[in-house]
Amino acid sequence: MFLYSLTLQRATGMVCAINGSFSGGKSQEIVVARGKILDLLRPDDNGKLQTLLSVEIFGVIRSLAQFRLTGAQKDYIVVGSDSGRVVILEYNKEKNYFDKIHQETFGKSGCRRIVPGQYLAIDPKGRAAMIGACEKQKLVYVLNRDTATRLTISSPLEAHKSHTITYSICGVDCGFDNPIFAAIELDYSEADQDPTGVAASEAQKHLTFYELDLGLNHVSRKWSDQVDNGANMLVTVPGGGDGPSGVLVCAENFVIYKNQGHPDVRAVIPRRADLPAERGVLIVSAAMHKQKSMFFFLLQTEYGDIFKVTLDHDNDRVKELKIKYFDTIPVTSSLCVLKSGFLFAASEFGNHALYQFQAIGDDPDVEASSATLMETEEGFQPVFFQPRKLKNLVRIDQVESLMPIMDMKVINLFEEETPQIFSLCGRGPRSTLRILRPGLAISEMAVSQLPGVPSAVWTVKKNVNDEFDAYIVVSFANATLVLSIGETVEEVSDSGFLDTTPSLAVSLIGDDSLMQVHPSGIRHIREDGRINEWRTPGKRTIAKVGSNRLQVVIALNGGELIYFEVDMTGQLMEVEKHEMSGDVACLDIAPVPEGRQRSRFLAVGSYDNTIRILSLDPDDCMQILSLQSVSSPPESLLFLEVQASFGGEDGADHPANLFLNAGLQNGVLFRTVVDMVTGQVSDARSRFLGLRAPKLFSITVRGRRAMLCLSSRPWLGYIHQGHFLLTPLSYETLEYAASFSSDQCAEGVVAVAGDALRVFTIERLGETFNETAIPLRYTPRKFVVQPKRKSLIIIESDQGAFTAEEREASKKECFDAAGIGENGNAEQMENGGEDEENNDPLSDEQYGYPKAESERWVSCIRVLDPRTTQTTCLLELQDNEAAFSICTVNFHDKEYGTLLAVGTAKGLQYWPKRSFDAGYIHIYRFKEDGKVLELLHKTQVEGIPLALCQFQGRLLAGIGSVLRLYDLGKRRLLRKCENKLFPNTITSIHTYRDRIYVGDIQESFHYCKYRRDENQLYIFADDTVPRWLTAATHVDFDTMAGADKFGNLYFVRLPQDVSDEIEEDPTGGKIKWEQGKLNGAPNKVEEIIQFHVGDVVTCLQKASLIPGGGEGLVYGTVMGSVGALLPFTSRDDVDFFSHLEMHLRQEHPPLCGRDHMAYRSAYFPVKDVIDGDLCEQFPTLPVDMQRKIADELDRTPAEILKKLEEIRNKII
Amino acid sequence: MSVFGGDSWGREAQYRKRRVDDLIIEGIDGCGYKKLPNGKLVCLLCPHHPVLDTPLMLSQMHVKGSRHRAAESEQKERELSRQYQINKRIALADSSSTAVSSTSSEVRCGSTKKPLIEQVHKAASEILAGESPQCSTLDKSDKSPDVRSDICYYKKENQSIAKSNATEVVAAPEVAFQQQLDYKNRRERELKLISAGWKRDAHARWFKDENVEFDSDEEDPNVYLGQ
Repeated sequence: MFLYSLTLQRATGMVCAINGSFSGGKSQEIVVARGKILDLLRPDDNGKLQTLLSVEIFGVIRSLAQFRLTGAQKDYIVVGSDSGRVVILEYNKEKNYFDKIHQETFGKSGCRRIVPGQYLAIDPKGRAAMIGACEKQKLVYVLNRDTATRLTISSPLEAHKSHTITYSICGVDCGFDNPIFAAIELDYSEADQDPTGVAASEAQKHLTFYELDLGLNHVSRKWSDQVDNGANMLVTVPGGGDGPSGVLVCAENFVIYKNQGHPDVRAVIPRRADLPAERGVLIVSAAMHKQKSMFFFLLQTEYGDIFKVTLDHDNDRVKELKIKYFDTIPVTSSLCVLKSGFLFAASEFGNHALYQFQAIGDDPDVEASSATLMETEEGFQPVFFQPRKLKNLVRIDQVESLMPIMDMKVINLFEEETPQIFSLCGRGPRSTLRILRPGLAISEMAVSQLPGVPSAVWTVKKNVNDEFDAYIVVSFANATLVLSIGETVEEVSDSGFLDTTPSLAVSLIGDDSLMQVHPSGIRHIREDGRINEWRTPGKRTIAKVGSNRLQVVIALNGGELIYFEVDMTGQLMEVEKHEMSGDVACLDIAPVPEGRQRSRFLAVGSYDNTIRILSLDPDDCMQILSLQSVSSPPESLLFLEVQASFGGEDGADHPANLFLNAGLQNGVLFRTVVDMVTGQVSDARSRFLGLRAPKLFSITVRGRRAMLCLSSRPWLGYIHQGHFLLTPLSYETLEYAASFSSDQCAEGVVAVAGDALRVFTIERLGETFNETAIPLRYTPRKFVVQPKRKSLIIIESDQGAFTAEEREASKKECFDAAGIGENGNAEQMENGGEDEENNDPLSDEQYGYPKAESERWVSCIRVLDPRTTQTTCLLELQDNEAAFSICTVNFHDKEYGTLLAVGTAKGLQYWPKRSFDAGYIHIYRFKEDGKVLELLHKTQVEGIPLALCQFQGRLLAGIGSVLRLYDLGKRRLLRKCENKLFPNTITSIHTYRDRIYVGDIQESFHYCKYRRDENQLYIFADDTVPRWLTAATHVDFDTMAGADKFGNLYFVRLPQDVSDEIEEDPTGGKIKWEQGKLNGAPNKVEEIIQFHVGDVVTCLQKASLIPGGGEGLVYGTVMGSVGALLPFTSRDDVDFFSHLEMHLRQEHPPLCGRDHMAYRSAYFPVKDVIDGDLCEQFPTLPVDMQRKIADELDRTPAEILKKLEEIRNKII
Repeated sequence: MSVFGGDSWGREAQYRKRRVDDLIIEGIDGCGYKKLPNGKLVCLLCPHHPVLDTPLMLSQMHVKGSRHRAAESEQKERELSRQYQINKRIALADSSSTAVSSTSSEVRCGSTKKPLIEQVHKAASEILAGESPQCSTLDKSDKSPDVRSDICYYKKENQSIAKSNATEVVAAPEVAFQQQLDYKNRRERELKLISAGWKRDAHARWFKDENVEFDSDEEDPNVYLGQ
C-alpha cells in the first residue's frame, strides 16, 4: 500500500509571532510561525488580516525574531528551527516569497537539549543575534553589511556555559556600545553532584549579561546577578538615549527592572480578586511599543490580563516602575503592537484577534508601583483588581483557529452532498464544537421573495464606466421584472425593457446602451431612451444567446446562427449568418481583449457532444477553428480570460490565458485552454461537480474574473496565490446567478433559487473549509455520534475550575459588591440600546474561568443537536468527577436498547504523581427520543477507564492496564472476564468480529481475541515498537492505523499467513500464546506505513470527503490542521509521484534548512508515503525549474499540474 | 560491450543473454515466480517473497534451498487439500438435489459409497423431511452409522441430565426434530453460561467462577436446566 499525504487545512494555531516592516517602507506586517508553517499577514485597509504568503518549511519553527540593520528601511526575519541551522529570511515583495539570505549550520538537527534554536535574541541596533539552546550552548552571530549593502553574517562566537539551563534571553539596548545580551540562567552543576537534594533546593537563578566585544570579536560574561527563582522572561528596555537601558525581568508575581550598576526596581503584578492564594501570577507574553517621546510595555499574564508597564526614569536612573491594568483578552502566545495602531494577539488556543487601540491606558486604573510596594512579615502586599470589559482595545478582526483539535469525526449527519467534519476544538471556556464543510463560506446579504418562480437573473450597469450596477433583471416563464438598485431595491417600469415576455439575455452593449434578448427578437435600448427592435425572421424563435460588450450571437431554433456587432454609432448591425448542422445547445463569446474591437472566438456547443470554436474575424467569419468532442452534450459555455500576471502580492508569474469552460449534462465541468492566436484547444481537464449540469457564470472576485458554476451545489473557480482553485460554496442549490455590485456590497452575487432572489458575498477566499462554531462549556475530550437520532454526545472536563453554579453565584456576589446589576449598571440601563456584550460584562470566553485549586475538576456530559445547535441535555458531574471516555453500547437481550457508557475519574491529580480517588463507569439510558440522559447506575472500578467499546453485546473497558468485559447488571456492571497482561494503560479499543484491537498508551497495538467457550481474553499479536499512542483507528481485519505523540503516523498489519493461522487454529493460537515471544505476544505485527506528520495527531478516521470518492484516512492535529492520506490505486501514479517528490527534494530544499527526507523520517524512516505538501510546491517553483523537473519526468509542466490537481480532487 | 558504437556485438550479446535466461528459467514452474518491472525476479512460493537479481540465482540457488523446498511442498500439500475439498463439495452438490427431491429408501441405500459428509447431510435432510431418526429405527438399517451414534449420544445425554422419560422423547418425528434444535439451543445456552462466568465441575454441575461477578438474583443453571 502506498499513500499520498495531503494537508487539507493548514495548521491554524500560532506558536510565535513577530511584527515589522518586512516588505520595506511604511507597511506593517506580521510573521507568524504555526509549527511547521511560516505565514506573512498584513492588516488591510478595512482592518481585516490578509494572508499574503504561507510556506510550509518541513521543520519545526521554535523561535522567530526580526531585526533591522542601522539605517535600513526593511526588517529581516531570523528563524530558529530544529534544523541545527540559523536562517535569515527576507521577504521579496515583487515575487511574493521568502528569500533565504543566510543559512548557517551549527549543530545536529532535531529539537535537542544543547543544540541552539529554542531562543533567539537580537541586538536592538541590529548588529548581532544570539541563538540559544535550553542548556549550555549560546551562539552569537555578528550581522553587518558589505560594500554592496548586502547582509553579511560572521562565523559563530561561543557564549557557552556548561551545566546551565537557560530560561529566556534578550538583547540589551545600550546604544552603539558593544552589544549585550541578557539571559536568565540556572547553574545545576552542584545540584547534579549532591545526592541529598539540598543543593537542588538551594539552586538559584541568575541574570547574566554577555557582552560581544566587536573590537576583539569575542563574547564574554560581563555581569551576573541573582534574580527571583520564579523569573521566566526578559524584556528589553530601550536605551541609548531613548531610555534607561537594562531589562525587565518578569517573575512570579513581580516585574523587576534590572541593569548593571543599578539597584533593582520591583513592583508587584496586580492580582485578580478571585484568584486562590496558592496561585501565582506569571507573565506569558510581552510587547514593547516605542515612540519618539515615550515607550511602554504590554505584559500579559497567564490569566489573560494585560498590564501596561511604564518606567519613570531620569536618564539612566529608573525612579519608578508602574504596572497598570490595561485590558483583558484571551491568553496569547505572542503580542504584536503595530505602528499603525493595531494589536495582534496570537492566541494560545482558539481564535486569534486583531485589536485596534482606542487609548493607551492613560485613564486612571488599578496600578501597582515600585514606589508604593509594601513589604510585610508575610511578604509583599498584593494589589487587587477586577477585570472589566475592553476599554483601551477594540476587536476588529478574528482569525479562526481550530487549535487544538481534541476529537474529530467525519460523518454526513445533515445528508448533504459531502460529509461534514465535526471537530472538538479549543480549551476551557474557549472550547467549541466546529462543523467543517468543504467549501467557501458565504454571507447572505438579502433574501426576497418574488411573485413567481424566476428562471434567470442578470445585473446591468447603465454605463460602462459606472462602478455599480443599475438594474437587476429577473426573467420568469412569461414576464420580465426589472428592479433598480439604489438605496433600496425596487421595481421600476421606465427602464425600457419589455416586461411581457421572458428574457434570454440582458446586458450592457456598447458604452451606454442596454440590450434585452427575448425569444422573438432583440431590443436595443439607447441611452437617450430610443428603442430599436430586431425581429426574428418568420416564426422562428431565438433559442440561445451569447454576447460580450460589442458582439452578440443568437442561435435560432433549428441551428441558425446570426452574428451582430456594435458599429461606430452604437448601432447593433447584423454581420453574418451561419447554418449549423443541428440545434445549438449553448454558445458563448470570449470577452473583448484589451484594446481590441472584437473578440475572435465564438464557442458553440451542440447536442452531438461537440464544442466548436468559430472565428468572428471579418476575414474568416464563422469558420470553424477547432472542434472538441466531449463526453456528454454541453449545457453551458464560458470563456474565462486570465490576465497576465507577473508576481505581485497575489499571484505567481503566468502569461495571459484564455480558458473555455463547459458544463456538460452529466454534471462534469470540462475545461480547456484556447490558443489566443489559432483558437486551437489543448490541455483538457474535467471534473465532476454534481448531479446537475453545471451552468456557468462570470463574476468578479477580488477584482478579477472568476467563474461561478451552478450544479447541485454552487462552485467557484478563481485564482488564489497563483493557483486556479475550484471550490464548492457552502450554500444551497441555485438556479441562475449574476455578479452584483452596489455601494453596500462591492463584490456580491445575485442568484435565484426557488421563488427567492438572494444576494450574497463570498468570504475567506483560499480556505478549504468553512466552519460553524458551537460554544462548549469545558475542554471537550471525546464525543460519539448517534446517527439515528442525529445527535452528538460530548464529554467535557476541566481541571482547576469551578462548576457553573459556583461561578454564577460568585459572579453575582462580585457584581453586588461592585454595585452593578446583572445586566450592567443602572446608568447604562437608562441609556438603553447597548449591545449584547454589555449583557454579559464578563464573558468567560474573553476573561477565562475563575481559577480554582488544581485538584478540582469540573465536567459535563452534553447531548447536542448539531442541526439546531441546541443542547438538549447537559449533565454536570458532581463530586470532583471528570469524564474521560465515552461510548454507546447495546447490551444483548437487555430491555433498554442503546445505552451510553461514560468512564470517569474522581479527584485526578497529575502532580506530584498521578493519583486519583476512584474511577467509575456510568451507564445512562436515553429518554425522550434520545434527547435526554438518565443515569441507570454507576460502577466503581479500580482504575481510570480511558477506553470503552461495545463488544458482542457487552462492554469492553480499558481500566488502567486491565482489559475487562462487562455485562449489564441490575445495579451495577458485572465483571465477566479480564486480561491483566497489558503493559501500561489502555487508551483505545476497537473491535471487529471476534477480534479486539487494544492500543496501549506507550506500547502501540495489541491484537486480542475473545473465546466464548472458555470465557477468556487473550493477546495473540502485538507490536515490537514502543509507540506512545495518541490516536488509533481500525483499517481492516489485520490492519490498524495509529499516531504517536511524537507526530508520527503509522499502519501496522498482521502478516497474512499469521492471520490465517490464527483464524484456522481451533484453539485460536492459544497454545502459542501461552508460550509468548520476546516477553510479549507470540506474533508480531509488521509496520507497513510510516510518516512523520510533524504535529501531534489527536484523531484518526477512515473516511471519504467527497461523494463517491475512495476512502482515505483523515486526521486532525493539536495545531489545528486537518490532513488526509489517500491510498494510490495505480503503480504508475506511485512511480510518478515518488519521482516528482525526489526531484523536488533535490531542486527545492525546504526553506529553513531541514532536509525534507530527514524531517519526514524524524523518528522512523518514512515508508510508502508520498508527501503531497511537497509535491504541491511544484507550481511555486520558477518556470525554468518546473520545466527541468518535468523534462526529467518525461512530461510537461502542465501535465504535472494536472496530475496534482487530479489527485487533490480525489481527496477533496 | 563495444564502446565504439556501430555494429557492435553488444546488442547481440544482450539478446543471447536474455535467451539463456529464458532457457534457464524454463525449467521452473511459471506460477512460482514473478518478473518485476526492474528485471528482478521474486519467488512467490516462499512466504517472505525473496527478490532475486538474476534468473540464475532463482533457478540454480534459490530453488534448491531448503526453505524454498519446504515452502514448495507446503504449497503442494495445500493444493492437494484444496482439491480434496473441491471434490468433496462437488460430490455433495450433485447429490443434494437428489436427496431433496426424493425420500425413498432405495436412493438412500444406493448412497452408501458417497463421502461421509454427504451421509450427514442426508441424515439431516431425512430429519427435515419428517423421517424418524430414532435410534431403534436407525439401528435396523445398515446405513449412516456415524449419524446414528451421534444422535444416540445426544439422547443419552438428554436422558442422563434431564432425567426425562425416554419413551416420550422417541415418540414422534416432530419430537426428534425438536431434539436437533434442542441440541443447538443447548450448546448456545451452555456457551452463554460459560461467557457469563459459569463453569462446570467434574459432575457436570455448574458453579460460579470466583473471578466473575453476578447479579444477586441470577438464576442457578443447575436448577433451571435440571427441570
